[in-house]
Formats: sequence, C-alpha cells, structure tokens
Amino acid sequence: MTSEQLNQPDDVRKPTLEVNGLNVALRGGPRLLRDVSLTVYPGEVRALVGESGAGKSMIGKAVLGVLPTSTQITSGKILLHGEDLGQSSPARRRQTVASAASLIPQDPLTALNPSRRIGVQITERLVKRLGWSRADADARALELLERVHIRDPQRVMVSYPHELSGGMRQRVLIAAAFAPRPKLIVADEPTTALDVTVQKQILRLIRELQAESGTAVLFVTHDMGVVAKISQTVTVLFAGKIVESALTRDVFANPQHPYTRALIGATPRYTHPDEPLKPVPPELITNLKREIALADMNGAAHV
Amino acid sequence: MSEPLFQVKDLHLSLPDMSRKKLFGPAPRIEILKGLTFDLPKGEIVGIVGESGSGKSTLGRVLVRLLWASSGQVLFRGQDIGRLPEDQIKPLRRDLQMIFQDPMSSLNPRHTIGHIVAAPIDRYGFRDSKKLALEALERVGLPGSFAQRYPHELSGGQRQRVGIARAIALNPAFILADEIVSGLDVSSQAQVLTLLQDLAADMNLTIAFISHDLSVIRTVCSQVIVLNHGEIVDAGPCEHVFNAPQSDITRTLIDAIPLPELDDNWLEQVALDDV
Repeated sequence: MTSEQLNQPDDVRKPTLEVNGLNVALRGGPRLLRDVSLTVYPGEVRALVGESGAGKSMIGKAVLGVLPTSTQITSGKILLHGEDLGQSSPARRRQTVASAASLIPQDPLTALNPSRRIGVQITERLVKRLGWSRADADARALELLERVHIRDPQRVMVSYPHELSGGMRQRVLIAAAFAPRPKLIVADEPTTALDVTVQKQILRLIRELQAESGTAVLFVTHDMGVVAKISQTVTVLFAGKIVESALTRDVFANPQHPYTRALIGATPRYTHPDEPLKPVPPELITNLKREIALADMNGAAHV
Repeated sequence: MSEPLFQVKDLHLSLPDMSRKKLFGPAPRIEILKGLTFDLPKGEIVGIVGESGSGKSTLGRVLVRLLWASSGQVLFRGQDIGRLPEDQIKPLRRDLQMIFQDPMSSLNPRHTIGHIVAAPIDRYGFRDSKKLALEALERVGLPGSFAQRYPHELSGGQRQRVGIARAIALNPAFILADEIVSGLDVSSQAQVLTLLQDLAADMNLTIAFISHDLSVIRTVCSQVIVLNHGEIVDAGPCEHVFNAPQSDITRTLIDAIPLPELDDNWLEQVALDDV
C-alpha cells in the first residue's frame, strides 16, 4: 500500500507499465477494482496475487484493453511504454497494445485455434499487425520454438494443436507471446492447468526469456509458492483493492499486511507436515470487507 | 497398524483406445493400470499422486467400482468386488462413496441442497432422510437453513462441503476424494481439508485422497501411493516416501512443488528438454 519502495537498479528508467488510480466497475453496478496503482519496470516480474474474485485478472485485461463489455473503466490511467492508453484513439490504442504487449493465457488448449497450424498462429500478429515479411516472421517463430526447447521446431510449425501435449502447447504460447519482442507480457495463471513438473519448466522458460530480453512481466497467480519462485515484486489484492505491494523478498521475509501473512500461512508445505492448516481467519475477511465498504461510501460522498 | 479395508492384488485394467479404432472390428486395448498391489488400511487417509495420465483417477474409479477390473483382485472387507455383478455390488455401494472435483457440475443446479444430500439416503430406504440430511450438513459446518438453498447460491468452499455432506450422510466405510480441493482458493482449501481430517477421525473413515499436490498430501494423508504410467513407483507412510523416495519420479514430483519460501536456485534445478 505504501508507495513503491522498489530499489530499481537504474532509477532514470521509465516504467514499462504504469497503472494509476485505476477503477473498474460493472456498468451501473459494483466496483471491481479500487484505486489500483502499480508499476512494472523493464526486466521486472511483478506477481499479482489474490483469491478468486480479487480482480487480479481484471487488471491484466484492463491493460490489454480486453475488459468484458459488461465492465468499464470509471477512472484512472494506464501508461504502456509511456503512452497514455486512455488518451489514444481506439485504433492507435490497439496498435500500441499489439506491438508492445502480449498475453500468455491460462488454458493452452482453448487459446490455440484447433483448425490452424502452429506456425501460422505464431506469425499471424507479426505479419498482419506489425508488418513483418513472411520470411522474417517464420524465422522468428522457428528461433523461438527452439528457444523454448521444442525438439523438432520445423515439424511443430506445421503441426496442429491437438498433436501437442499440454506442456508443448504452453511452450508454443510462450514463443508466440515473445515473438514480437514485446515490452510487457501479461501472464494470466499460465501454469494453473499444468502438472507440477511441467509448471516448473514453464516458469523457468518464462523467467529465462524475460530476463534475456528485458521484458516486463505482470504475472497473475493465486499460488504464493509460484509468487516466491518467479517474481521480484508482488502486489497482493483483496476485493479489487491492493493490500500490500512490495519486493517479493521482503513480503516473504516480513509480510506487512495480515492478509498477506494469512495467504502465505494457508499454503500447505510438505516440509512442515505437522503444522495445522490455517485458513484465512473469517474475522480478517469481515474486517477487510467492512473497511472497503466504508471507503467506498466515503468516496461516493466526496464525489 | 489396523487391518486393511481394501486389499488390491495385481490389479490390471485396460480400456479400448477409440482414437486408434479402425472403422470395422474392435478397438485396440490400452493398458491403464499395470498390475497394482497395495492395501488401504482402515481409518487412514491414503494419498494417490501422479501426473495427469498416470491412472490415479482410473484407480479411484475401480475402488468405488465405477469401472471393472480387467484382472486381479480388489478385496473390500475380504470380498472381491473387482468383477462382482451389478446386483451383488448394489448393497455395498452405500459403503463406497465419492466426492468429486468440481462441485458445481456434480450438484444438480435444479435441486435444493437439502434434496441433493437427502437423495442418496432416500435411495437406501431410510424414512427420516430429511433429518439425516440436516445432520450431515451440520457435521460439515453448514447451518440447516442451507437446505433450502440452491448450489449457485453457495461459494466454492461451501459447495464442496455439500459434496462431503452427501458422501458422509450414509455413514460409509470408504470415501474416494478425487482432486476435491484443486478448484478452491487456499483459504477454502485449508477449511475443507481440516474438515475432511476431522470427519475421518470422528467416523473412522478410510479415504483415498487423489491429488496432484504433494504438499496437500503430506499434510492430510498418513500414507501415499505414487503412480506413473499405471504402475506404483513408490508407496508407504508419507514420512518415508517424502524423506527417502525410492523412485526418481517421486523425487521429481517433490522437487517441482513451489514452496511459499524464497529460493533463488529452485528454478535452475529443472531440465528443459522436452520428453
């Protein structure tokens, strides 16, 4: 909740993504995001963590401009690579997002078109939106398929999604996300549907590729274990509101907010089998909800 | 150790592989379980773990006899139920209950919670099914007023409690719990698991707890069976299997768990080459 105490190696660098006081609500309905502010710098992996319904995916969707039509941004700013997306024309905004941001989705099966070859699906954006030549796009796709350790990239280029395993498909989507050399990647629970052993490989691949290209990553997850392993900074959400935002290192060494502590404490650890499982205390949830309702009412009174 | 509720001996199961079926003639058979031998001791929660496709759900379905064994023995209280005809398995079914992964799709959206929990009790001809259903709901920590509600009015954790209430309502000997917390937030997960542990202790339940999450298994189960491609690669008390795994597969599964702790080297310890 405090202002970012992030010790960036180079303070003069501009953040890749800057979200300022973002409010999103259902049209004519309740608020979904409450004054969300966060930054992601080049080369940084920021985890967005919270329980279901906390609004973590909603932030990624707002950034990519794919919020459901039933919702709207009521106030706030989103700056992607220095450009204020709210001030741009829709066409300009789509172009900026297409060239500067990518999504790694949760479900690798539904994210790929079953009737089209893998190669075409990786290169489509490069050729159709970003004006690459077909030869350059194909070369880039091959390069990335190799980079994500796919054994026979030539063959995979002409394969259909159903011919690949879940882990392979997720590698393809990682390759597709990194292909246009984006400044920002939104990874929306990219490993939730995978086996743990495959999850570990996918996490490592994302980490390696973003580190060598300096891509900023907004990594949405509900798993505090994944947060600990992949991110440098973390933003904890509850009911659309940020409760804690800090360096991952500090959050695990010394979580400031009781809700963050509770989330970490509720995650079982095989190394501590005799520790009883501790659900998030209901009083804590009730108090947080009350605080938020009060703040909403005060906010409404001021407007 | 108490006597086993289940004794499984050299269990094989093969199913027709429809993806390789020719237009005419029978489909080739694919072997899913390849000779499993183990016991489920009475009153224990036994974890069954493995990657997707390892056969853990299939094994569970044989234990509650939703699938037939192809060969081998599945002794439930000494009686082989692996290939028992339907009319003889029926009286045993009330002792073999199941909790499903996704409560939203396993609870009928058109029925009230009370009706859902009472239906299996009715099925076995008890008169006071309403009362028994309310008792079961109470045991899982849901107030009686929930009996009038519909599944969509409940949270994910509450719905899974209803699934548990339905399974325990008939006071069964055995429950198959197949990935029952994988759709839940950590907080509801902790609640549901604590509840399951308490019920197992109170009711002397034997539970086969299928999960892909070894941290959950270590916390909840006393024993664990590790499956890989339809074979048991590791089995025994959790303490032994976790501290001294016999198989590389178990070791890899354990090492792949992201603990909520800082560890800079964790990501480096994985091979990226595709299998």
